[in-house]
Amino acid sequence: MELIATARFKKAMDRAHAATAYTRRITQLVADLANSGLEVKHPLLEGRETTKRAVLLVLSANRGLCGGYNSNVQRATFLRLAEMQAQVPEVSLEISGKRGLAAAKFRNIAVAEAYTHFEDKPSFEEVELLANRYLESYIAGNLDRLDVVYMRFESVSRQFVTVETLLPLGNLEGAQPAAGATQSQYEFLPSAESILEEVVPTSFKVKLFKSFLDAAVSEQVARMVAMKAATKSAGDRIQQLSMAYNRARQSQITGEIMEIIGGVEALKN
Amino acid sequence: MAQLQCIVVTPESTVLDEQVDFVALPLDDGEIGIAPGHSPMIGRLGFGELRLMVAGTPRRFYVDGGFVQVASNVVSVLTNRAVAVESLDAQVAAELLNQARRRKANGEELLALRDRLERQARAQMRLAAHAH
Repeated sequence: MELIATARFKKAMDRAHAATAYTRRITQLVADLANSGLEVKHPLLEGRETTKRAVLLVLSANRGLCGGYNSNVQRATFLRLAEMQAQVPEVSLEISGKRGLAAAKFRNIAVAEAYTHFEDKPSFEEVELLANRYLESYIAGNLDRLDVVYMRFESVSRQFVTVETLLPLGNLEGAQPAAGATQSQYEFLPSAESILEEVVPTSFKVKLFKSFLDAAVSEQVARMVAMKAATKSAGDRIQQLSMAYNRARQSQITGEIMEIIGGVEALKN
Repeated sequence: MAQLQCIVVTPESTVLDEQVDFVALPLDDGEIGIAPGHSPMIGRLGFGELRLMVAGTPRRFYVDGGFVQVASNVVSVLTNRAVAVESLDAQVAAELLNQARRRKANGEELLALRDRLERQARAQMRLAAHAH
């Protein structure tokens, strides 16, 4: 299991790396737009005056045996859920992963949408479907806020639970114009505004995709660590048990020898 | 002859990173051709065909919207999906179009969304029909 988790972790990690190439370029693009003197403004960036309907999306694992991964995510989820229910009249919970679903069922909490098809390789196409649905209902006014709970991956030794508000998007990375930038070298086709219109939803999709990737990588890391500990403790246990076995066998042999010696002594007399 | 570096990136992977002679891209409002020495530009992509000329032979991809950035002979294409035209499926595209048509569009935003989905499906169908 440890070896499998390690191999899967490497694959998930490579995918996460591939995604950063895209994110970096998008950030650069936003920076270029901001430097051209365009004010970065978009309906998705600004919050609603009143938040009526909110969605809490939780990314948990489909499988267990990964240490505290699922329970950490769940703890953060139910805390945040209570918090949101206090503020927002209508909160629906959407959960990806069987473990999270089981936890919600155990607590008798209704789940609006359940996803179990995101394994350790979430594809952009699948995530985009989700993202489009959120964008659509946000634009149509059926959704005012989207929060995502997931395990953020920082490094192999450091992952932590993050609760992020993805809709409204808030500020875009790179949206502040650099000091001294007056004019951009770029020509914008058809116009900077039109590009901005497209950049904002794209950033949202990429952010959502990134959270799925992070969750997948973190899950594999957690499983790797848990399985490493399991392998080690199983090894320790084997050592203890075989020592106990050897002792028992030895004492039995000693007992038998004593009996034989005792018999011989008795015959002598 | 001067060459361009063409990089196509999707959120999942870098699809292409090659030296090419010429690139034709589907912009939101028409096609643009980029030869070496093009002035710096950022453009919004539509749904359609990306054509590359590599040593006299053309290669064709379908790109699914996104952006293009041209600077110092490097063409970076950021798109959600980039697939070789040969691997497009006309039936899947036709199904997409049907789905898009059946959508309810009450309200301006939803109407715009439907138009967009229809354009996307039509572009895929068009390319799939002329794949060879």
